[in-house]
Amino acid sequence: MDFGLDEQTSIVKDTARRFFREQCPPSRVREILATEEGYSKDIWRKMAGLGWLGLLNNEAYGGAGGAFLEMFVLVEEMGRALLPSPFFTSAVLSSWLIEEAAGQPRKETLLPRMIRGETILTAALLDHQGRDDFEDPALDAHQADSSRYELTGTRLLVPFAHVAEGILLCAKLQGREGHGPTLFLLDPATEGLEMVPLNTLTKEKTFALRLDRVGIDADRIVGDIGKGGIYMDRIRPGATVFKCAEMLGGMERVVEMTVAYVKERHQFGRPLGALQAVHHACADMATCLETARLIATQAAWLLSQGLPADKETATAKAWCNEAYKNCTAIGHQLHGAIGFTEEHDMHLYSQHAKASEMAFGASWFHRSRVADQLGI
Amino acid sequence: MRFTFTPAQDAFRAEVRGFLRSEMEAGTFSPRCGDLFQTGSREFSRKMAERGWIGMTWPREHGGQGRPYVDKAILMEELFRVQAPIGYHFLADRQVGPALIHFGSKQQKEFFLPRIVRADEGVSFCLLFSEPNAGSDLAGVATTALRDGDEYIVNGQKVWTSRAHVADFGWLLARTDPDPSANRYRSVSEFIVDMKSPGITVRPIVNMAGESNFNEVFFEDVRVPAASLVGEENAGFKQIMAQMDYERAGLERLMQNYPLFEQLKQHVRDMDPSETPETLRAWARDQVAQLEIEYSVGRLLCYYTAWTIDQGKTPTAQAAMCKAFCTRYEQKVNDVASQILGPVCQIRRGDPWSPLRGDLAESLLWGPSYTLQGGSVEVLKNIVALRGLGLPRK
Repeated sequence: MDFGLDEQTSIVKDTARRFFREQCPPSRVREILATEEGYSKDIWRKMAGLGWLGLLNNEAYGGAGGAFLEMFVLVEEMGRALLPSPFFTSAVLSSWLIEEAAGQPRKETLLPRMIRGETILTAALLDHQGRDDFEDPALDAHQADSSRYELTGTRLLVPFAHVAEGILLCAKLQGREGHGPTLFLLDPATEGLEMVPLNTLTKEKTFALRLDRVGIDADRIVGDIGKGGIYMDRIRPGATVFKCAEMLGGMERVVEMTVAYVKERHQFGRPLGALQAVHHACADMATCLETARLIATQAAWLLSQGLPADKETATAKAWCNEAYKNCTAIGHQLHGAIGFTEEHDMHLYSQHAKASEMAFGASWFHRSRVADQLGI
Repeated sequence: MRFTFTPAQDAFRAEVRGFLRSEMEAGTFSPRCGDLFQTGSREFSRKMAERGWIGMTWPREHGGQGRPYVDKAILMEELFRVQAPIGYHFLADRQVGPALIHFGSKQQKEFFLPRIVRADEGVSFCLLFSEPNAGSDLAGVATTALRDGDEYIVNGQKVWTSRAHVADFGWLLARTDPDPSANRYRSVSEFIVDMKSPGITVRPIVNMAGESNFNEVFFEDVRVPAASLVGEENAGFKQIMAQMDYERAGLERLMQNYPLFEQLKQHVRDMDPSETPETLRAWARDQVAQLEIEYSVGRLLCYYTAWTIDQGKTPTAQAAMCKAFCTRYEQKVNDVASQILGPVCQIRRGDPWSPLRGDLAESLLWGPSYTLQGGSVEVLKNIVALRGLGLPRK
C-alpha cells in the first residue's frame, strides 16, 4: 500500500490546477456557457499544446501512450474548475473508442488531428429514454444496399454534437454481412439528421438527435460489425472512473467553498462555523471527500495496472455519486439563501453533481454490479 | 502509488491466516460476535508473542519488530475476521506500549515493554479514563492524584472500565493540580497503577447484553509510587490525545461484527426464491451491496490511516474520521441483517432457532456501544471539524 501520487502525476495535477485557475475562473465558466459553441477554442488549443488531448492514445498518433493516472488527475482538476468543454466526450470517450475499435487508416486520419485539437468527436451513448444501450441499441441500422445503411432512432443528451466532426453511435445492425450492435461514425451534416438543442440543468451544450432513415455509408462502420458493445465495454470502466475523478474535483471545491464560508459568515454574534451542528455537517462533507478520493483512486490505480477492477469500479462510482450529492446538499444548506442565487457558484456544482451521478450509472446500478461480484 | 500489498505482505497474511485456522481447528476459539476486547487468554497471547505479533510496530530497541503500521493492520484484519481471543494483550499492544515508548521513563519501558511483547503473566491492562462526570470531556476528570513525598495518593471514581476485574495494571488519568483556577488541560497526569493496590474496589456493571464486561472502579487513598507517573506531571491531556489517535485508527472499529456480515452475505446468497418474497430479495441485494461498498471504503480508510502513521505523520483528524465512519457502518450491518432475518433476529445464541449462529442477536445488543467507545461519533466529528478543517471553537 502506497497512497502517494508519483512525481509525474503530481506535476500534471499541479500544472492543471494552475492552468484552470488562470484560464477558467468561475466568471469565465459562465461566459463560456453562454456562447454559441459552449466551449473556449482558445483553452482547447492550449490544452492540445499541453498534450492533454491525447493522454490515452498511442504515441504513434501523437498521444502519451495511455497515461491513465495523469488523465485521472487532469479530469479531476477539470471537475474542480467545471470547465465547459467537449473534453470528456471527445478526448476521453471518442478518441479512446477510436483507438480501441477503428482500423489503422481511420486512426491515422482522425487521432493526430484530434490530439492536436483540430477536430472534435462526440459519442452518443443514450437512447430515447436516456438509457445507455450499447449492448442492445434501440437504434436500428437497416441495410439499404450493399454499401449503405439507414439509421432510425433517437439519441439523447449528446454533448457538443453541434461542433463535432463526427458522432460515434452504436446501432443494431441487421445486414447481409452480419448483425448486432455496431459502432458508426456519423457526420452531423448528414441529410435527414435532426439535431435539437436541449435545455438542461448544467447549461452545457447537449442535443437530442432524431434519425429517421438517415443514410450512412458502410465505410463509416468503426471496427467490426456486432462488436459495438465489446468496444464500449473496454472503455467503460475507465470512463466510469474518470467520471469519478471529475466528481472528486467538484466535491473538493464544494467542501473548500463551504468551509471558508462558514468561517467568515457571522450569525448570533459568532461565525457559523463555531456551531456544533455546522461542525458535524462539515465533518460529514470532509468524510465524503476523503473516502471518495480513496475509493476512486484505488479503482484508477488498479485499471492503470491492468488489474481486475470490476468491483472496485462499481464501488467507486456508487460511492462518489452519493458523496458528491451529499456534499452539494450540505453545501447548499450551509450557504443558505446566497447559495440559491444565480450569482453564487454553488448551483454550478450541485447541477454538475446530478449530471455526473447520472453518467455511467446511478448508484443502484453499481450496487447491483457489486452484488453480482458477491454472488448475490 | 500502489493499492495492492507486497508479496511479503501477502505471505504474512497467509501465515497469520494459517495460524488462526489451525487454532480454530484445535478448538482454541471460534469466530463469534460479542465483546471483541474481552475474550482472551494469556495462552493465546503467548502464542502470538512467540511469532513476534505483539509490539510489531514498536522499535527494536524496545523489544518490538519495527514493522510498519500497514503490516500491523494486516495482522489485525486477520485477527478480527475470526474474532480471535486477543483480549489479554490487546490494550497493552495498541496503546500502552506506544504511549510508554513516547512518554515513559527508562525504568517503565524496561519493565513493561519486554513483558508485554512476551505476553508474560501479570501485564494485562485496563484504561482508567472515563468518570461519572467526565466521559467525552476527558479533561474534566475529578479523580485526584496528590503528591505526598515519594508517592501520589489517589481518590475518586472511574467508570465503564473494561477488563478492570481481570487486569493487572490500570492506566490512570487523574487530576494532579486540584486548584479550580488551573487550566483544565494542563492539570491532569497519567499513571500506571497496580490494580491490586490497597484501596481499589472494582464493581462490575451489567451491560445491556447481560454481561459484566465493564466496571466501576473506586479509589480510596490509594498510594501510588511517584515513579508510576507517565511522562510529565500535568501534561496528561496532551499525552492522552496523542494515544487516542492510535486507539481510533484501527480495524477493530470496522470489524467488531465482521462474522455477522460474512454470514449475512451467505444468507442472502442462499435465500430460496420460492420461499422469499421478490421484494425482500431485491431489497436485500441492494442493501448488502451498499454494506459491502461501505466496508470497502472503511477498510481503505483504515489502511490509509495506518499508511499515514508510517509516513511519520499524526493522523488525528483522519483517525477520528475513520472511527466515526466505520462504527456507523457496523451499526448498519446490524440493522440490515435484522430486517433481512426478520423477527427471529431476537433469538439469542444457544437457542436452536437463533439465526446466524447467534451472532445477530449478540451484535444487536452490543451495537449501541460501537459508536461510543474511544470517543462518541459526535466528539469525533468535532475533532474532524476543529483539527482537520480548522473551524472555530467560538
